[in-house]
Amino acid sequence: MSDRPPRPEPVGPWGPPQAAGAPPHAASPPHVAGAPPAGLPTEEPRQRLHPLSPVLHGAKSLIVVIAGLSWSTLSRVGFGWFVAMVVVLALGATVLSVVSWWNTGYHVVGRELRIHEGLLWRRTRAIPLERLQAVEVVRPLLAQLTGLAELRLEVVGGGKTEAPLAYLGVAEAAALRQRLLAAAGRAPGQPPAPVVAAAGPVPEVTGRELHAVRKADLLVSQLLTPQAFLLPFGVVFVVAQFLSEGSWSFIAVASTLTAMAGIVLQPVRRVLDDWDFRLAREDAGLRVRNGLLETRVQTVPLDRVQTVGVTWPLLWRWKGWLRLRLEVAGYAAGESDDRNRPDRLLPVGDLRTAEMIVDEVLPGVRLTALPLRPPPARARWLRPLSARVLGAGLGERVFAVRSGLVTRQLAIVPYARIQSVRVVQGPAQRRLRLATVHADTASGGGAAAYDRDLAEAWALAAELTARSHAARQVR
Amino acid sequence: MTGAEPAQPPVSALEPWPDTVRWQPISRDLIWVELLRLAIVLAVLLLGLGVGWALSGHRLLGAALGAALLAGLWRTVTIVRAVHAWGYAEREHDLLVRHGLLVRRLSIVPYARMQFVDVSAGPLERAFGLATVQLHTAAAASDARVPGLRPAEAARLRDRLTALGEDRAEGL
Repeated sequence: MSDRPPRPEPVGPWGPPQAAGAPPHAASPPHVAGAPPAGLPTEEPRQRLHPLSPVLHGAKSLIVVIAGLSWSTLSRVGFGWFVAMVVVLALGATVLSVVSWWNTGYHVVGRELRIHEGLLWRRTRAIPLERLQAVEVVRPLLAQLTGLAELRLEVVGGGKTEAPLAYLGVAEAAALRQRLLAAAGRAPGQPPAPVVAAAGPVPEVTGRELHAVRKADLLVSQLLTPQAFLLPFGVVFVVAQFLSEGSWSFIAVASTLTAMAGIVLQPVRRVLDDWDFRLAREDAGLRVRNGLLETRVQTVPLDRVQTVGVTWPLLWRWKGWLRLRLEVAGYAAGESDDRNRPDRLLPVGDLRTAEMIVDEVLPGVRLTALPLRPPPARARWLRPLSARVLGAGLGERVFAVRSGLVTRQLAIVPYARIQSVRVVQGPAQRRLRLATVHADTASGGGAAAYDRDLAEAWALAAELTARSHAARQVR
Repeated sequence: MTGAEPAQPPVSALEPWPDTVRWQPISRDLIWVELLRLAIVLAVLLLGLGVGWALSGHRLLGAALGAALLAGLWRTVTIVRAVHAWGYAEREHDLLVRHGLLVRRLSIVPYARMQFVDVSAGPLERAFGLATVQLHTAAAASDARVPGLRPAEAARLRDRLTALGEDRAEGL
């Protein structure tokens, strides 16, 4: 694959020579200390990136250097000194890139790709090939001019590219991509995009219609927000002030108006965004259609739903209204826009509607029948007001937690989506023998059961771990 | 599976399921690494404060010097205790990591959720023959970082994690 000679010396598990700084009392057995413990038969020599890559990185830093020094420096020190400074800085940057290039390497070991980096702070990243979601060959301008390419490896979950290999020869990059994808057991192609968003004139919602939010309800619900409530008081306050002062200066009026517009904008935008909100069931998942100025249709793949959140804002409670949100994981190629991620499930609705929708998203989960249990009474010492609202419970398929005194919130996490479980105990909690249990999901906060009894917290953690394992096995 | 049974009443906050989980300590050499790190920071700080004090003779700077010394002493004690508190355990399906003194944390990360594994070591760590293994999942919140491992142990853990994580599971 490469015509460059492999690195001659044997390479330890994380890069540094084994004999260099290891103290004599190293706990490793002698036969392990001599040879790299990862000496699998499938190990291949470490490959370096393209020899031109330090030049490219150096050229990039040259631009940064010139921009950083700027014209004012040029006019102050004169042209000769300026050039000298640029050359020195660029040389330094190039030397650093050469050192970093010399110490950067990658190779495929068994079923994983390993990337080594760093001279002083060394890091070896091991990525199982099964976990690669996409491998892209990217060619920025400088790389195009020199016939090089950057290989971007997308690992799931992280929004950013976790492991770029910059730079490789184009042919080499393409070959490595093919090889990685083949080893990952995947046809080279785009992964299924999790979210299909389309703007502009779109056809009517197909599939079985589940629910359409009444426009009047949406308007009323946005009037029942703190912003809308406070608006009249603001207006009265401002008018009273002007009347008493007797001066209507243009700037005062303008600044007041801007401040008010900023406050009012959010409810107005919600109304515009969620206007004519329709929810329909399709084979692939739920189809959401909403928007007044810009109609959007989004497909929510139900097998990627990480969390369903229910919110009861204070002012909506006398109406019995609530809001449903959801977190969907998975990266969407080229979709950096947060607004295009489906997150709304129901902008406003009553409990019965919400129950129906939750049942559709998470079959078998009854919103009103979640087994929520309060924390022990001594949790009041930590949360005097909101302790009685707290609740957590293990449902048949989901973990549910409730919190929030003013804005009541309920988070529902399916066991199959739990990434990790954490138990955290602060100093005050330790005195009260309480602990907080977190269930982490990809994208978003997951669910946290605050201030459980310590024994219960351990039991909860064990149960969550076991149940999420069982849920994974089923799939 | 081990440890999945509902727990017996735990003995201490740091020891969940004492009879089913075998906690592994991390290398005590990490104490020296952390102490050296602290010493470097403290030296720079004390030097700056000392020079400032000598030049200006301001009482506040002297007080700050004393406070920095005290904080360094206190930190020395906590470093020793914190390193003793770190621990990890490999169960059948998941990795357990516990750490922290003031705020105690226990992370349970299933191998199947592993996205990739980093093995890293700074210059000080390498001088003492130590490395850090960090497990990354799709959730940003999960923290499974085990510092103070011998290179051989780090490589073993890394290989075990990646091998066990391979059951072609969904990453999400």
